[in-house]
Amino acid sequence: MKKMVALTAVCVLALGTLIGCTAKSPVASKKGGEQTGTQASATQLDYPKKPITLIVSFAAGGGTDLGARLLTPILEKELGVPVVVENKPGGGGWIGYSELLGAKPDGYTLAYVNTPGLITGYVNPTAKRKENLDSFDFIINHVLDAGVIAVRADDKRFSNIKDLVEYAKKNELSASSNGVASGNHFASLQMNKQLGTKLRAVQFGGTAEALTSVLGSHVDVLIAKVGEVVEPMKEGQLKVLAVMMPDRVPQLPDVPTLKEAVGVSIENYSIRGIAGPKGMDPQIVAKLQDAFEKAMKNPEHVKKMSDMGLNINTTKGADFKQMLKKEEASVNELKSLMGW
Amino acid sequence: MESLGYLLNGFETALTWTNLLYCLIGVTFGMFIGVLPGLGPTAGTALLLPLTFALEPVSAIIMLAGIYYGSMYGGTITSVLINTPGEAASLITCLDGYPLAKQGRAGAALGIAGIGSFIGGIISIIGLVLIGPFLAKQALKFGPPEFFALVILGLSLLLGLMGKSLLKGMIGALFGLSLAFVGLDQSSGIVRFGFGQIELMKGIDFISIAMGMFGLSELFLSAEASLRGKAPEPPKVTGLLPKKEEWGPSMKAIGRGSVLGFIIGLIPGTNSVIPTILSYSMEKKLSKNPSRFGKGALEGVAGPETANNSYCGGALIPLFTLGIPSSPTVAVLLGAFIMHGLTPGPTLFQKNPDLVWGIIASMFIGNAILLIMNLPMANLWARITMVPFKLLFPIIIMVTIVGTYSLNNSMFDVGAMLVFGILGYLFKKAEIPLAPIILTFVLGSLLEKTLLQSLTIFQGSFLGFFTRPISGTILVIAILSLVFSIVSSVRNKRIITEDVEM
Repeated sequence: MKKMVALTAVCVLALGTLIGCTAKSPVASKKGGEQTGTQASATQLDYPKKPITLIVSFAAGGGTDLGARLLTPILEKELGVPVVVENKPGGGGWIGYSELLGAKPDGYTLAYVNTPGLITGYVNPTAKRKENLDSFDFIINHVLDAGVIAVRADDKRFSNIKDLVEYAKKNELSASSNGVASGNHFASLQMNKQLGTKLRAVQFGGTAEALTSVLGSHVDVLIAKVGEVVEPMKEGQLKVLAVMMPDRVPQLPDVPTLKEAVGVSIENYSIRGIAGPKGMDPQIVAKLQDAFEKAMKNPEHVKKMSDMGLNINTTKGADFKQMLKKEEASVNELKSLMGW
Repeated sequence: MESLGYLLNGFETALTWTNLLYCLIGVTFGMFIGVLPGLGPTAGTALLLPLTFALEPVSAIIMLAGIYYGSMYGGTITSVLINTPGEAASLITCLDGYPLAKQGRAGAALGIAGIGSFIGGIISIIGLVLIGPFLAKQALKFGPPEFFALVILGLSLLLGLMGKSLLKGMIGALFGLSLAFVGLDQSSGIVRFGFGQIELMKGIDFISIAMGMFGLSELFLSAEASLRGKAPEPPKVTGLLPKKEEWGPSMKAIGRGSVLGFIIGLIPGTNSVIPTILSYSMEKKLSKNPSRFGKGALEGVAGPETANNSYCGGALIPLFTLGIPSSPTVAVLLGAFIMHGLTPGPTLFQKNPDLVWGIIASMFIGNAILLIMNLPMANLWARITMVPFKLLFPIIIMVTIVGTYSLNNSMFDVGAMLVFGILGYLFKKAEIPLAPIILTFVLGSLLEKTLLQSLTIFQGSFLGFFTRPISGTILVIAILSLVFSIVSSVRNKRIITEDVEM
């Protein structure tokens, strides 16, 4: 049965590329029509008329994938065509991004872009990549996944984030991370830089693994995302000490931001939004922004995402790119600490 | 005995028509996923997850859990019939399962695997009911240093799978370890052996290697034989049940495999390959006649197959009691719990007893369904070996290519599989055993990761490994087993004198 699904996916893809090739001239003529007047072009916009591929550059079952699969059924109703989620995992997301950038900017191939992988993927010199933020057309953001700092619930040494920071200034502490240059790794580097703490990042394959090690007292500090700590906290396994956002998050109303608690603003969150290849028709972008925003603000969707610890943020277009530029700047700031 | 009452309530939940139906769908789907190489239980559960939103939480999780343990049954089938593991967990089964199939005893291999899987599954569920919550706390004592020690133990036992020549075995093992280097290194962020290929950044996929080295190379060898005009005759399917004298050792292997798989499953972060290696090595060491292993010893199928099923049950304990997923598939299950508004963790048993016990009861039922499906089907599957090779091969090639593609929707993986097929063919010609290659590949990345994690924790000191009771003990056992192997090989009394044919 799975084979069938894969085969149909292949067929759809093949068809998609074929139609994509032939559809080039209408797009060009549409651009011409745009100048003649908005009224005329609005009736001319014949989009979308076939299924849209939404690339998820991460494995099926992960946070981005689940978010995408929750969103697409609502999005399909808004757009009136099927939206097919296609997983292209690997390369810190760049297998999928490369595929996106190789596709025609006709609005039929879109992808999720995630930070910091999107940015570290080209800032890291060993990756030897020519692309950067200007290679994309950014449509709309979907999720802000806030970073948090937590410790074992029965860890007597720290009852709040101040204790932890003070302790870590004098003593080395091990802190979990999901790989070099992951968002969680940046968090401990930022703390070391701005607060003078001595956190040693231990690299894990994922937060589940890191959580096990923290609960087993093998690692001192858990650095993770909101959705990953809410349940263990309710179960009395973890104490969440701080969130690394400008404001508190609804899932953890009692947990202070790092800025509130220690007065130093350290922000660490993952941005997950929708982008297309550079050069999309502005009308198509506008239509997509509208449809995506409606789908993302669907109350049921907001609730389901919130249950997973994910907060919706629908920053659009140029503002969205500005958000990513800010991320880029902070990655560049920490670049030397990576040995890049 | 309070648990028993809850369990009976659980059966009440699980035996409703709808839940029975979802259990049936889950295990059947799981079995097919296991048969299809490439599409593993992780992807299978993840893809079906969104479809379960409309269901009752208990039905949804019964179905998803069914996929998980059902796939362990399915993975065996391709290992035995075409020497290609459908899942990593069934890799070891190729060692003796395929030789059995060549002797026309595929039915016996599949039959004993089915029985073993059932017993392993049931024993681990009983363990889950009786001692699960108590053991789960202990399992947290396993940190990165303990994993490292466990991997070292696994590698030291590999010496037993080296084949005729220790040297060639070492070549294979080191080749496998170096394959594990390829890709983005988690601990330094540096791309190793990437050659500018973005696809290589994520490393080589296990499935590409396993399908190429085991499956394709086997086809190449047979094709070569038939070009020379001596096409191997399809074996006659005989002996669909184990022989009388095989029952005893096989049942003992099943008993040991059950316990072993369950214990390893308890430890979060292990994978289902480790218990199968340990079980196989243990059976070989305990056997009166170790030389039979690799040539069609039924215990060599029974033990590991039991262990991987029992592992599944064990792996659910950290999930249910601590909310910790111990493998990627269990992580998807955890996602399912959360999306249905349930919280796995210490209070799950108190807060949602109906649900937990319903799921546990459904696992008894699901395992029984799988056994009923698999025993008669073993006959049917075994007949596939009688299909003439010229018809069978194109089908196998198609299945492997589609399966490999479906992993990441990437042609690169297909290309890699073809390359490893050719490599595997050459290695077989050079009599380099393939088992060490693939096993060290699986363990290699875990070895490196846990070593670096441990050293970060120990601030760079190697002595740290020996100052912790669990990791110290395991490492000492590993070292002793290594020394023992070397001493006996120097005395020219190698424990293993026969080639493990793969």
